[in-house]
Amino acid sequence: MTGAHRRLASALSGAAIAVLAAGLTTAHAAAPRSVPQGAEVTALAFDGASRTLLKTTADALYRSVDQGRDWTRLPLPAAARRGHIAAVAVSARGKGVLYLAGPGIGVLRSDDGGQHWSPRNQGLPGREVVALAAHADQPGTLYAYVSSHGIYRSENGGGHWRLMDRGPRTDILQLIHSNMPGSMQTGWFFAATAKGVSRSMDCFCGWRDAGGLGRGVRAVAYDPGQPRRVYAATGEGLFLSTNGGEQWVRVNAPAAKVVALAVTRSGALYAAAPDGALFRSVDQARTWEAAGA
Amino acid sequence: MRNVRTFSALALLGLATTAHGGESVSANARHLDTGHRVYRAQCGACHGAQGEGAARWERPDGQGELPPPPHDSRGHTWKHGDGMLYRIVRDGWRDPFNKTERLTMPAFGPTLAPRDIRAVIDYLKTLWTPAQRRFQREESRRMPYPPEAR
Ligand code: HEC
Repeated sequence: MTGAHRRLASALSGAAIAVLAAGLTTAHAAAPRSVPQGAEVTALAFDGASRTLLKTTADALYRSVDQGRDWTRLPLPAAARRGHIAAVAVSARGKGVLYLAGPGIGVLRSDDGGQHWSPRNQGLPGREVVALAAHADQPGTLYAYVSSHGIYRSENGGGHWRLMDRGPRTDILQLIHSNMPGSMQTGWFFAATAKGVSRSMDCFCGWRDAGGLGRGVRAVAYDPGQPRRVYAATGEGLFLSTNGGEQWVRVNAPAAKVVALAVTRSGALYAAAPDGALFRSVDQARTWEAAGA
Repeated sequence: MRNVRTFSALALLGLATTAHGGESVSANARHLDTGHRVYRAQCGACHGAQGEGAARWERPDGQGELPPPPHDSRGHTWKHGDGMLYRIVRDGWRDPFNKTERLTMPAFGPTLAPRDIRAVIDYLKTLWTPAQRRFQREESRRMPYPPEAR
């Protein structure tokens, strides 16, 4: 806790602290976010159970069952048009449960692979959900980051949310949960922020800068087959860590700018460029090919 | 003076249960006194006499080890359920990214009785805010003390 936080915490008396739930002290001001335009990809995800690739833009969700060659646009409810889509998450162990989230939208859930959706916002302080992560192993557990508030957890598939932590000092742009070993609890978070990658165990017992990348990170992804292997897309190229974010090395990027990443169960890495172009690497970002080509 | 403090801490903890609990209140007061005693003898040297933690506890030190964190309201001890706290104290812990292999948080299982481990953890709860205690109580539902400590 910083001095300012401490001062605020001690200035608040019981009732006010209770409102802040669990002594989660201050909210930090939300950084202004640019709204992605048109076809710009905002998120990628891979559903291992159905071997489906998912891709979002600010206003649409697409799926591909042939490694990105053909895409089908999925129907979305009116609620998805109240903001812009920033995240898509697949429930652990599949069964077609998907989640969508974004500022203005809150959280939406589908139980049938994206054909029907319903809102899942009970317990959230608003709809400004900027990041969403599904637990790597527990099907009902999800984490939503609400700007100016913090990270909320649901353990019943979005049925109810509870404030867990205010998050790292720098706003989260994207959040993933990983089952990398070594956690005190059940896994780890990696958060893409404007200052690098932030890492915490999922007991929320301390965010630390992971590996001192020292530059804005737009997307982060880990390899489910080798969870210590983490990728980070920055404004200045793509980085790989093979030790859970302790050190990073620059690897080949398929495009000048990468805005979203996903890794399949077999370790294939997908990267999206702002214009929607999608690339695939099966050798840990040594070489790339256009996806679906 | 200390009894007054202990009593209000008990009330906050919801340990001072019933009206006819004169006896259970004093049993709980004894429990927390035990916890405080264990804390002073076994924990304070590293975590600070008041649970304030090491000075620069949020970053690894010169040896690449995370220093002892605070146990008061500024730390994150209150984020863990009872079962997790019990395991940490019994089995010890080191951050997996520490540059050394040793257990920086020693295992007290070999030297402290289960009820003493529980007592020291319950004592730590008196250092938290009411909201933190509520949060931790909620987490403890999924992660209660193990049978050996009940
Ligand atoms: C030799 C120094 C030392 C002693 C003695 C010690 N600790 Fe620790 N403790 C540590 C260190 C260092 C850590 C942080 C380990 C890490 O995260 O890498 C720690 C961490 C913890 C944690 C986890 C806190 C969190 O928020 O994650 C708990 C709980 C804890 N100690 C309780 C105790 C209790 C109770 C005692 C006394 C019975 C005690 N410790 C005695 C050094 C010590």
